[in-house]
Amino acid sequence: MMMNGEATTEADLFLNCTDMSVLERQRAHLNNYNHHHPGFFSNSSTINCGEMDGFLASAGLDLPAIYGDTTVYSDARLSASQGNITTESGNFKKRKFGCVETETKVCNEKKKMMMYREVVVDEEEEEKSKITEQSTKNIMKMKMKNKAKKEQNSCSNDSSKVTKDSQKTDYIHVRARRGQATDSHSIAERARREKISERMKFLQDLVPGCDKITGKAGMLDEIINYVQSLQRQVEFLSMKLATVSPRLDFNIDDLFTKEAVSDPMMNLPNTVMPPHMMVNSGYPHDLVNSGYVDFNPMQQVVTSSDPLPCFNNGQASSMWDSDVQNLYSSLGV
Amino acid sequence: MERQIISKKKQVFSVEPTKLSPSEVFTRKYTSHLVPALKKLNMDKNSSQINQVTVKHEVDMALALSAQEFAWGRFLLQKLSSADSKSSSSNQTQILERSNDEDGEIEEKMKELQELLPGGKEMNVEEMLSEIGNYIKYLELQTSALKTIVQDTT
Repeated sequence: MMMNGEATTEADLFLNCTDMSVLERQRAHLNNYNHHHPGFFSNSSTINCGEMDGFLASAGLDLPAIYGDTTVYSDARLSASQGNITTESGNFKKRKFGCVETETKVCNEKKKMMMYREVVVDEEEEEKSKITEQSTKNIMKMKMKNKAKKEQNSCSNDSSKVTKDSQKTDYIHVRARRGQATDSHSIAERARREKISERMKFLQDLVPGCDKITGKAGMLDEIINYVQSLQRQVEFLSMKLATVSPRLDFNIDDLFTKEAVSDPMMNLPNTVMPPHMMVNSGYPHDLVNSGYVDFNPMQQVVTSSDPLPCFNNGQASSMWDSDVQNLYSSLGV
Repeated sequence: MERQIISKKKQVFSVEPTKLSPSEVFTRKYTSHLVPALKKLNMDKNSSQINQVTVKHEVDMALALSAQEFAWGRFLLQKLSSADSKSSSSNQTQILERSNDEDGEIEEKMKELQELLPGGKEMNVEEMLSEIGNYIKYLELQTSALKTIVQDTT
C-alpha cells in the first residue's frame, strides 16, 4: 500500500463501508490533509493508474470475502483488470453496501478521477466539507450521471474470459463469456439452454440416423418422427396381437420363459404361476423380477443371453420350447 | 415345491442375486403384465370380440405398469385407469402453425413432442426432453416384446 500509516488506517475504516468510497475518501482526505500533510498529497498524486488499480484489485479481491452478496460482475472485472478503472468500477458497481447508487457514483467518480485527475481533485475539494456517502452522491451525481449509465453498460457488457466459478453466495454464479450479458436472468437462461442442448445430444444418440443432423429444429423433427413411428409400430403390433390372441393360450407360458430366460437364474415363479392368478392380483413388480427359483432342468436348458438378442433371434427361443412345455406339463400348469 | 411357488404371492428371493439391466427388467415386467392380461381377455371374452381397442388398452397398460418409475408411465397409467375405452390419442397429429421465426418453430416442435409424450403437457421443456429419451427407449423395448409375442403365437 502506497499510502502511509494514517491513510491506511482510514482506508481500513472505510473498507467497512465501500471500496470505491474508501479510495474516494482517501483521496478526499489526502486532499484535505494536503495542506496539513503535504506528503500525503504528493503520495496521492504519484499514485498512478497502475498502482491504484493494484490497490483496487486487491481491495476488490478482498471484498468478496468481506461482503457476502457479491454479484456476477466482480470476479469478471477483476480478472480482466488491465489497470482499467472502468472494469474495476464494474466490480463494485453492484455491490450492496446499502447504497448502490453511491457505489455507482463512486465508481464513476473513480473513473473520472483516473482520467481527469485535476477535475477530480477539484471535486474532492468541493466535497471536502462533507465526507459521507450521501454527500459524495449528491455532489458527484450531477457530473457523473451521464457517465454512470455508460459505465453500467460497459460493465455489463464487458467481461473476462470464460470461466465457470461459483462465488460465495447461495446460488451458483457463472462467469460471463466475452461479449455476453451478465445479468442473472441471462445467466440462468444460458444454463437452461445448455441443459437443453445436453439433452438434445443424448436424444441424438438415441434416435437412429440423427448423426448428420445439426440444429435443434431438425433434431426435434427427427425425434418427433421417430416417436410417432414407434407408437404406430406398437399399435400395429397390438392389432396383430388382437388377431392372433385366441391362439395365445398354450404359448403364453413359453413366452414367459423365453422372456424371462436371460440368465441362468430364471424368473420361474412367473412362468409357473397360472396366468389368471397374476392378472388381477395387483401383482407386484417385485415378485416378477426378484422371484427366482432354482430349477435345474431349466438351467440346463437356459443359455445365458441378453433378452434383447433373444427377442430378435427367434431361433434361440424356439430351442427351449419343447423343454419348457415338458416342464409345464409336468408341473401341471 | 411347485405348489409353494404357485400359491405363494409374496416375494421369493433368488438364491443368487442377479443384476439385471433396466431393459431386461422392463421386458420381464412388461411381458408379465401383458401376457396374462391377454390370456384373461381370451378367457373372459371367449374368443368373441377381442377387438383391437381392448388389446391396445392392455398393451398400453402393460407399458404403463412396467414404467412406473417415469413420469410418463405414471401419467399413462392414470389416463388408462380413468378411461375405459381409449381412442389412440397417441398418434394424433396436430397441424400446428409454423411461424417463420426459428425460435417459434422450435417451440412448436417442442409442443408437438409434448403431445406425443404421455403427460408431456404438464412438464417443462427440459424435463420433457429427458422423459422423451427414456420413453423412446421403452417404446423400443415394448415393440420388440410385442414382436416376440406375436411371432410366437403365429
